[in-house]
Amino acid sequence: MPNLRDIKNRIGSVESTRQITRTMEMVATAKIKRAQEKIESARPYALSMMEVLGNVARYAKGAEHPLLEEHPHRLRVVVIAVTSDRGLAGAFNSNILRMTENVIRDETAEGVKVDVIAVGKKAAGYFKYRGIEPIATYRDISDKPTFVDAKSIAAHVIEAYAQEEIDAVYVVFNRFRSVAEQRPEIHQLLPIERRVVEEAAEGSDVRAEYTFEPDAKSVLRRLLPTYVETLVFRALMESAASEHGARRTAMKSATDNASDMIVTLSRSYNRARQAAITNEIAEIVGGAAALEE
Amino acid sequence: MERTLLCEIVTPERIVYTNEVRMVVAPTIDGEIGILPLHAPLVSALDPGEIRVMHGDDKVEWFAIAGGYIQVHEDKVIILADQAEAASQIDVERAKQALEHTKRLMAELPHEAESEIDQCEADLKWCEMQIKVAEKGH
Repeated sequence: MPNLRDIKNRIGSVESTRQITRTMEMVATAKIKRAQEKIESARPYALSMMEVLGNVARYAKGAEHPLLEEHPHRLRVVVIAVTSDRGLAGAFNSNILRMTENVIRDETAEGVKVDVIAVGKKAAGYFKYRGIEPIATYRDISDKPTFVDAKSIAAHVIEAYAQEEIDAVYVVFNRFRSVAEQRPEIHQLLPIERRVVEEAAEGSDVRAEYTFEPDAKSVLRRLLPTYVETLVFRALMESAASEHGARRTAMKSATDNASDMIVTLSRSYNRARQAAITNEIAEIVGGAAALEE
Repeated sequence: MERTLLCEIVTPERIVYTNEVRMVVAPTIDGEIGILPLHAPLVSALDPGEIRVMHGDDKVEWFAIAGGYIQVHEDKVIILADQAEAASQIDVERAKQALEHTKRLMAELPHEAESEIDQCEADLKWCEMQIKVAEKGH
């Protein structure tokens, strides 16, 4: 028979844990909203960017650009792994790390050298533990990513790709599909797929006769790196929203589990208390009967 | 009714400004250009600098931008800026602090950290631009 006081202590500790997980759940819920608003407010820029890109691409047709060029060899690739700074978010980070790990394994098997850019303390810690030295590490940006952060990350790969030091760049991040669903995805950042540019060009208004300053090709040359930066920024924002979504789900189930546990524990507590009382009565009755004799 | 332009200034993070205006002056990489209604379609890259937006009543609004692009089409001016801030919204004290901070940071960087140095230089330019525009725009 478990001790009454032990059960009471267990209930107390589970209750205070539930208090924490419930608070974290509420905080995450509030943060999802903010992160979603940030994704929304980035949309006008992204749309205008595609419009400008389309117009430029239509005039600079067939223009060569190092970021559009696929390299004939494939010796080195870079993977940008976007994780969070904090844990307690379910499989949020392990999904990203596993996916990155798979890319490293597959590419290495084909004789390709893989470098990692770690975004978030979780990725930084993991790769350090695995003995892989990331070429760049970013901490304390996963919660509130700014465009400046994205620019800085993109700067590591854009120049290197143009110089043919690296042959492909991927970004692995959690895509925010809904509050309840986040999916780890891998996107190719470089080379920029020609299809993207061609589709943008098809969408442009053919009646407008644009002038370009200095000329279409120069504008395109400047525009494509900015386009890559916006893709990185997008991944960072998606990941931030997903992090809060994943944490909310994880904390909700932790809170529910704690509640279930409290119910079970209370039942054992009451049963133990009942047993103790019955025991006492039996003893009293037994004692009284002994006196009567 | 006088013809107006729809001017939109957007950054990857938010819409900074959107309004009907009489004229927009922007710093393209070939020099400053003024855009009035009925301007021919144009796409141009912008240098870091100041944007001036003029209203019908000769009121002028100033913006600092850290480089970007401008597209003019059918009386609609879209300015895509890496960073942009209205002169009235610029916190000069904060910009000055950031300037000092970045300078210190840069002094500590080793010479081979080229991308970090470039980043710092861009930050410095942006801080200086904000301070300049804030002083002019007031």
